[in-house]
Amino acid sequence: MTTTNGTHLQTVRELYDFIQSRLYFNRPDLRLNGTAYNSSLLLNLLTAVLGGKSLIIGEPGLGKTTAAEYVGALFYRLPVGTLWASEVAGHPEQTEEKIIGRPDLGKLNQGQEEVVWSNFVQLPVKIVDEINRLPETKQSMILDGVDRGKWEYLNEIIINDEYCLFATANYQDRGTNTIIAPLLDRFDVTVESRYPGPSYAFLISQRQEKEKLLRHPELEGELQAALRSRLLPEERRTRLAAISEAFGAFLGESFGLTTLDGQGRQELRRQVLSMPLNQDGNAFTRTLLAELSFCHRHGQKRSNEICDEGCHYTGYLCHRLLNCASNRLPVSVTNYSKALAWFAGADSVSLEEIRAVAPYCLAHRAQWTEAHLSLRQQDRRNDPFHVYLARQAINEVYQRYSEQADHVKEALGRAYRIFQGEGLEPVAGDHPIYAEIRKDLNLEE
Amino acid sequence: MINPFEDFKDFQTEARALPLDRLAPAHDEAMAALTSGYTKLVEQEVKSLVWFVEHNRVIEAYTVACEVIRGLDYDGQHIEEFCYQLESGTAMPYLISGPAGIYISALCNHVPEDDMVLRLRHMQRQMHFLGYRLPHGKTLRIEGDTGNFTGAALNGGQLIVAGSSGDWAGAGMTEGKITIVKNCGRNTGEWMQGGEIWVGGRIHGLGRSVSGRIYQAGDPVTGRER
Repeated sequence: MTTTNGTHLQTVRELYDFIQSRLYFNRPDLRLNGTAYNSSLLLNLLTAVLGGKSLIIGEPGLGKTTAAEYVGALFYRLPVGTLWASEVAGHPEQTEEKIIGRPDLGKLNQGQEEVVWSNFVQLPVKIVDEINRLPETKQSMILDGVDRGKWEYLNEIIINDEYCLFATANYQDRGTNTIIAPLLDRFDVTVESRYPGPSYAFLISQRQEKEKLLRHPELEGELQAALRSRLLPEERRTRLAAISEAFGAFLGESFGLTTLDGQGRQELRRQVLSMPLNQDGNAFTRTLLAELSFCHRHGQKRSNEICDEGCHYTGYLCHRLLNCASNRLPVSVTNYSKALAWFAGADSVSLEEIRAVAPYCLAHRAQWTEAHLSLRQQDRRNDPFHVYLARQAINEVYQRYSEQADHVKEALGRAYRIFQGEGLEPVAGDHPIYAEIRKDLNLEE
Repeated sequence: MINPFEDFKDFQTEARALPLDRLAPAHDEAMAALTSGYTKLVEQEVKSLVWFVEHNRVIEAYTVACEVIRGLDYDGQHIEEFCYQLESGTAMPYLISGPAGIYISALCNHVPEDDMVLRLRHMQRQMHFLGYRLPHGKTLRIEGDTGNFTGAALNGGQLIVAGSSGDWAGAGMTEGKITIVKNCGRNTGEWMQGGEIWVGGRIHGLGRSVSGRIYQAGDPVTGRER
C-alpha cells in the first residue's frame, strides 16, 4: 500500500474508533477475520466512505439517526447542528417544497423564477428521518435524487458531485407505510441499530452531553448563511468548503482527529473502488446472483410469475424468491465488500468480505414467498427477520459454492475460452450458474 | 462484444491425473482386507444363528472387530466403499445390520483420519450401532438415516447424522455430542451417563438416563432419570 493509502485508512479507522469510544455505544455483532465490529456503525461509515445509501432500521430511540449524524458530521466535516437543519422528516404532509426547494417569493413577485434549494439538497450528507412515514405516493419524489444525486425543481436542476444518504425507518406501526420496491432497491444496505444491552444503555444515560461534542454554533451559523446566500454555485461551494475546513481544524484541535477534504475523500473513494476481487470472491458472487435470478421455467425471475412446484431447481434460492435480483445488488455487494476489505487492511476482496456484507445488501431487496416466510418465522435468531433470511440464504449458497468451487471456476474459465471461439463443451453441473453460463454463450435452447 | 468471463481468463484447474496403475491394486488390497475382516466377524457371530442385542454380545463383537482389523491399511474412503459393497457387492457375505454396524464403527474408531464422512443415503437398510464408542477427537458425519443404537457408548467423539435415526440413540454414551438433524426413535439416551444429544426434529421417546443433556429442536428436554 502507498503512504497515502495508509494515511487515509488510518484516518477512517480513527474516526471509527472515536465514534465507538466517545459517541455511539453498542455491542460488536459483525466479525471478520478475528476482529469484531458493530455492524451499524461500520456499515454507516462505509456508506459515507463510498457515497452510498443506508437504510437504518430499528426501534425508536436506539440511535438510528444519531449514528448517521455522527458519521456524516465527522467524515464530511459538518457540524451536527447543520445536519439537524438539513434533515428531512418523513410524514404524510411532506411536500416537494420542503424537501427539494421552493420558488424565491420575492423574485416571483418581480416576475422572475428562481429556486431556493433546501439544505437537504445542497449538503453531501442527506438524512431522511422515518422514511416509511412518507406516503407511498410521495416516496417517488425522492427517487431520482436518491439514485443519482439529481434534484429538479421548476426548470432548475442541481446535481450533487458527492453525497451519501441515510434513511431511518421504524418497524411497522399505525403511522408507517410500506417503502416502495424501486426506492428500497436504491438502498445499498439495510442495517439495524440494535439495542445495545443494559450495560451500554446505562452508559449512554451517563453521557448525555456527547451530542454537544460535534456542535459548533458559530460555524453552524456561517454554514446556514452560506447555504442561504445568493452566491453563484461555484462561489457557494468554495465558501462551504472553507467553513468545512474550519470545522475540520476544530476537530483536529479538540480531539486530535484528522479529517478529509473533498479532494481527499475522492482520492480515498478511488482507492477503495480499485480493490481487486479475488477469483473465489468473483465466482461466489456470480453463483449467488445465479440463484437469485434464475428460473428454469420462465427464463428469469419475474415478480408477476409464480414459480411452480415440481421444478428441478426447487432446492435453490430461486424457488423461494418472488423477484429478480436487480443490477444494483452486485454493485452494492462489490462496493461494500471492497470497502470492508480496504478497512480491514486486506490487499484484495475475498469471499469472506462478500459473505459479511451480502446479507445487508440482500435483506431489503429479496421478496420471499409466503411459504418460505412462514416456514422461517419461528426460527430462533439474532437478526431482524429479513436480515436473518438473507444471511441464511447467503450461508446456503456459500455451502453449495464451497462444495464445487473449483468446478464453478473451471466452468467460468472454460466459458471464457468458448466465448473467444474455441470449440469446447461448457462445463455441466446441477447449479443454476451452469445454465446461466450456457445462456451467456448462447447455447441454451 | 465484451467477454463476461474475462476475469477467469487465466484460471487453470490443477491437473488431477491419478496414478491409477498404482492406486487400483492398493485399493483392491485394502477392500479385500476389509471384506475379509468382516467375513471373520460374521463367521464368529453367526455361530448362535440369531444375533441378539445383548450387552455382552455387543462388547464381544466389538472386541472381535478390533482384533480382525488390527494392522489393516485403509482410510475413510475405503470405509464408505465398504458400506456400499455391503448391500450391492457380490464379494460380501450376508449383511447383518448389528455386526456390520459394529464392524464399521470399529473401522471408524481406528482410522487415521479425525474427520470422516459416510454417505449412506443410497442404502436400503439402516445400519445399527453406527458411531459406537466413537472416541475423543473424532468427528463422524453420516449422510442418510441410521438404525438403532446410533452413537451407543459414545466416548467423547462428535457424531452427526444428517437424517433420522432409530431407537436407543446415544444409549449408554459417556461423553461427546450426537447431532441428529431430523428425528429419532424411542428410548433415546437410555443409560446415558454424560454428553449431549441434539435432535433437530422430534424425539419419539426418551429413555431413562443417568446424566447428560438432550435437546429437541433447540429446547432442552428431560427424560426419566434412573
